[in-house]
Amino acid sequence: MKTIRTILLLASLCLGSGAFATEAPIALMPEKHFEFLNQYCLDCHDSVEPEGEANLEDLPFNMTTLQTAELWQKVLNVLNSGEMPPEDETQPEAGSKTEFLDDLSHQLVTARKILSDSGGVITMRRLNRREYENTLEDLLGVEVNASELPKDASPGEFDTVGASLFFSSDQFEQYLNIARRVLDETIVSPQKPKLFREKREVEEVATKLAMTRYTKLFEANERAAQWRKDETQSPTDFGFIDSSRVKFEEGQFNGQGPAYRWYLDQPETKTGAVFYVATPGAYVDKTSLPEKAAPGRYLLRVRVAAFADAPSHRTFLEYGTIEKGAQQGEIAVLGHRKVSGTLENPEILEIPITITSSTSREIGIRERQPNSRDAARYALKLAKKRGEPTTEPALWIDWVEWEGPLTEKWPTQSYQQIFFKGPNAKQTESYAAEIIERFAQRAFRIQEPSKSFLDKLVSLFNSRRVLGDSFEEALKESLAVVLASPAFLYLREPNPDDHKRELSDLELAVRLSYFLWSAPPDEKLYKAARSGKLGNPAELKRQTNRMLDDPKALEFIKGFTHQWLNLDRLEFFQFNFELYPEFDDSILMSARNEVYHTFETLLNENRSIGDLLKSDYVVINDVLADYYDIEGVEGHEFRKVKLPRNHVRGGLLGTTAFLAMGSDGERSSPVERGAWVMRKLLNDPPPPAPANVPQLSRFEDELLPARALQVAHMEEPQCAQCHRKIDPIGYGLQNFDAAGLWRDQERVETDEKKVKETIKFHPIDPSGTLPDGTPFANYFDLRDRVAEHEADFAQGFTEALIEYGLGRPYGFTDYDLAEAILAQARSSKYSTPTFIHALVQSDLFRQK
Amino acid sequence: MKSPQFSQTLPKQTRRAFLRSSSALIALPFLESFGTKAFAASPQVALAPKRMMFLSFGWGPTKESWYPDINTTGADYILPAGLKGLSRHQKDITIIQNLTNQFSTEAHWGSTFYLTGANRYGEPGQSFHNSISADQVAAGVLGKETRFTSIQLGCENAEDSGHGPGLSMAWNAQGKPMAGLNSPVTAFHKLFADDQTPLEQRQAMLQQKRSVLDTVMENARSMNRDLSKTDTDKIDEYFQSIRDIEVRLAKEEQWLDVPKRHPKEPIQEPTGEIVGYEEVMLMYDIMVAAMQVDATRVLTYRQPVDSFIRSLGATITGHNMSHYTNGTRRSVAEMRDEKQTELLAYLIDKLKASKEPDGSSLFDNVSLSYGSNIESIHYLKNCPAIITGGGAGVKHGRHLVMKDEKTPLCNLWLSLLQGTGIKADSHGDSNGVIEELFA
Repeated sequence: MKTIRTILLLASLCLGSGAFATEAPIALMPEKHFEFLNQYCLDCHDSVEPEGEANLEDLPFNMTTLQTAELWQKVLNVLNSGEMPPEDETQPEAGSKTEFLDDLSHQLVTARKILSDSGGVITMRRLNRREYENTLEDLLGVEVNASELPKDASPGEFDTVGASLFFSSDQFEQYLNIARRVLDETIVSPQKPKLFREKREVEEVATKLAMTRYTKLFEANERAAQWRKDETQSPTDFGFIDSSRVKFEEGQFNGQGPAYRWYLDQPETKTGAVFYVATPGAYVDKTSLPEKAAPGRYLLRVRVAAFADAPSHRTFLEYGTIEKGAQQGEIAVLGHRKVSGTLENPEILEIPITITSSTSREIGIRERQPNSRDAARYALKLAKKRGEPTTEPALWIDWVEWEGPLTEKWPTQSYQQIFFKGPNAKQTESYAAEIIERFAQRAFRIQEPSKSFLDKLVSLFNSRRVLGDSFEEALKESLAVVLASPAFLYLREPNPDDHKRELSDLELAVRLSYFLWSAPPDEKLYKAARSGKLGNPAELKRQTNRMLDDPKALEFIKGFTHQWLNLDRLEFFQFNFELYPEFDDSILMSARNEVYHTFETLLNENRSIGDLLKSDYVVINDVLADYYDIEGVEGHEFRKVKLPRNHVRGGLLGTTAFLAMGSDGERSSPVERGAWVMRKLLNDPPPPAPANVPQLSRFEDELLPARALQVAHMEEPQCAQCHRKIDPIGYGLQNFDAAGLWRDQERVETDEKKVKETIKFHPIDPSGTLPDGTPFANYFDLRDRVAEHEADFAQGFTEALIEYGLGRPYGFTDYDLAEAILAQARSSKYSTPTFIHALVQSDLFRQK
Repeated sequence: MKSPQFSQTLPKQTRRAFLRSSSALIALPFLESFGTKAFAASPQVALAPKRMMFLSFGWGPTKESWYPDINTTGADYILPAGLKGLSRHQKDITIIQNLTNQFSTEAHWGSTFYLTGANRYGEPGQSFHNSISADQVAAGVLGKETRFTSIQLGCENAEDSGHGPGLSMAWNAQGKPMAGLNSPVTAFHKLFADDQTPLEQRQAMLQQKRSVLDTVMENARSMNRDLSKTDTDKIDEYFQSIRDIEVRLAKEEQWLDVPKRHPKEPIQEPTGEIVGYEEVMLMYDIMVAAMQVDATRVLTYRQPVDSFIRSLGATITGHNMSHYTNGTRRSVAEMRDEKQTELLAYLIDKLKASKEPDGSSLFDNVSLSYGSNIESIHYLKNCPAIITGGGAGVKHGRHLVMKDEKTPLCNLWLSLLQGTGIKADSHGDSNGVIEELFA
């Protein structure tokens, strides 16, 4: 065993040889550091009388056991927190401490990976939440929202990693309940639901609302004026508790009155509604459906116009649901539409909205804006500052109309699949048994339900019948039980032996469809598998291409990219609407979709994965085009748009998603951005941020540019070990503000009341270096230098794809697989579909 | 991590049921024998029963204004600004410093390992591992005679409030997360809402539920054939879950004809609109009421922070606040401490005012802990820890600073468990009890 004791002995013999190279992965502290341990630690932590029971003399430099890793972790912890060496002992020189920490933190990451390596074992996987929803949808034909299920992914892993997908008793009950709910939607009365169609003139609500509020304010203010004439009168005679209430009412009138008055004075509000802002929040038109509206697809029509002088970013309509507890003005945004109709010539927008059994029937439309009542209040405050009664009007609506549910076929196909003998079949026990058997077979994919299991389901049905349930109701319970059974919930691939075996064609079909669709195979895929052809490489490739072309592949694209690129961080911070009023939910949703659809374009057009590092196009919609100031993009769908030369967009570095994640909602963060670039683009991830490192607050009251703040990171070795590599990348991105918009100056603000200066502008120095020392002068230069790392990027992408596709962490046993995939990818200039084909065709993908 | 020993308090086959997860052991006849004696004891007891409450507040409090000066220990210490609201209870609380979970390295996980002390990487071949939480050790003993073995309360979007992965503060004997009731509405309904269905019908439904379990078990058994070792472990999770439900149903049956009791002073039935400050207050009311009617003796509560500060007017997120710097973030952080303390004092008031049939108060018999795994910002060293209540026999009114700066937090859990009369030799990474608490 290599410990410092043995190394010290060996050192005198073969100092400098340092040859520990072996094939198997190892987590090895370079022996150059033994001097560091020897000098600063061993005086107390030796084997004779180890302080704090930490014997570092016998600590192996090769971290092969949990115990060793744990002790090294402790060494890292105490060095990071500054506890060791004790203050009164000799302190290490900054440079060697930095190097020591750098190596130790990286080697510990490697050790954790080795020690948690599953050795290539693919653990049986439970359907994750996305797959569960899609699978139910596939079986029952209705959109499923299973958000009550617990979150699946373990931190830092994909939600397809079987070993981390747990099961609990509460979950079992949730599965039953969701299945019952969804079956209620599928198994409805054979009578087609009546078409609901209703047109509403919005002024009947909006103008009346403004009038009622205004009248109330006006009337109280009038009474206040009467009392003011002689303040010796008792306020109670005028309906006020006391004189301070008088003052309050006057304030209310002065604050909100003008906004309502203005509203009522607009000619447009006689025939429709204008979205307006007053103190209670922004006006949302509640175009709600009846509470009992049947689930299904609806059309919401809106006749709408934009005011001629409205700025373009305000000419978007947002629609969404109004959730319980929402404040005035707040909706859960479902989407947006650009309004191009004019007051002279309004347009009619048609918006499809799907209503499930769990969707709120309260729907709202409003002008695009930050989703917060406080933001509306702030907008009003700004308007008043400008001397206007309220925000200038931007959108006008004439009427709204609902139509739905739109059903082409009734009873639905899913219903007919279950009740396969048609509406006139006799409701006998044997028919029920047949229904249950057919359903269980479909639900269990490639597993045969056993006779005794089916018998129990039928007796469940019978006992419900005895309790008085109808034929359909009693069946629902048995079908719900099928959907909470393990054969439905788990992707089973039996393998009792210790060595790997080939998957059967049917098993391969299931693995493939959950990889590319996050859903069960369709008839075509089953057919290919049943006929024994799927195992044929050419057929497998043909099926893979067919599946990638199917819209269901978006499930893979979203599920994979979201987790691969850590897009969840987009929701981690709330943006400051005072600083970034345009960064609202429409932008946030579109920013996420931009990444998905860019990846989709790579797949559809056989483009290089390197396009994500730099490209001469973007894949955007109208609202992002407006945000990016790119002309000629109409419609909310995403499409590829060619960029002029040297445009700041093009590649992940220029996406709002990446740039906004690299901020805290107020300031851009060179650290977050730099670390993400290292993790995702350069495939050189820095170790995780350690706990307990002292927070740097020395500069906190100074309005310094981000770059100057980072200087402090270089002063302490425990910070410098990583930040010397991370931060300089981030400097190159400082020309983008927190919300991802280009800027030439950095604006720094504080809301600390005690300081004199509250705003300062700093010039930006965008020069820096990559971790390997390559310098860059500015953002464009940085992007070019990063783009040279295509091979590294492809490596990281491959590892992520393997983890996602095989459903287990990328392990050391996957080196050969990764290299094989990369070899094929290289020969196709990193064409994105090549990676997927290479993985699907690999032995590991086709084995259990 | 060794499982704690509570052999003396449970009959042998029961302990096996709790501790073993081998699918071979699952058998319904055994469960029937389970139901007959162990849970049949009448809830009426002469002496007021012991109870335990564990509260976790996620993101760490403000370092400078929440922790008392470490140089002022013992009874003569000054409550810092963030804890001023506890002045009226100062002689009935104990603040402990220098407790830590040595294996914790995740700065955003305030509750995941808080009651377990586990090492995330403790199991080779796995990237996440946890072990039984202190409340579940307590529930194994204190939960036998009540309708609910334990109650886990929580909040929506717990990760935004700095609690980390998990479904509640509770982790079962297999180290798997246990679900919580995440709103006052669901908690209220579970604890107090009466089931109007006639008894025979409920018995029939219970039978129906058993048939459902029996059916899925049939399927699970056929799944279980020819699986690899790791896959068998996975399907075991399913078996274990069904077993858990069977145990729960056996208990439900015992209580089927016992109507739910309602507190003498009825509490307001909550609505969905109550969030933040009011929500915490209401959850406290519900916890006290649950103990008044002896619905359970072990409660945990993973409190909201994100919605809490917003209900107080803040427009930043809980996470932003926790990384406080001068200005808004710090003032929000300080306000949050102050308001949380105010609510804790309110809870203690209620516990003191609530009388048991034997003349003592709930406060006299409860052991309550209040804290988080996060010290403040991203520090995990000195976990915030306040304990109160007379249940564990702690001598209150003092500020204790542990000599060893790395005293395991699990020593506190072990002390409270033992003080409450629960046989446990160790818990998590404990290396002893905190003698000072009782001296």
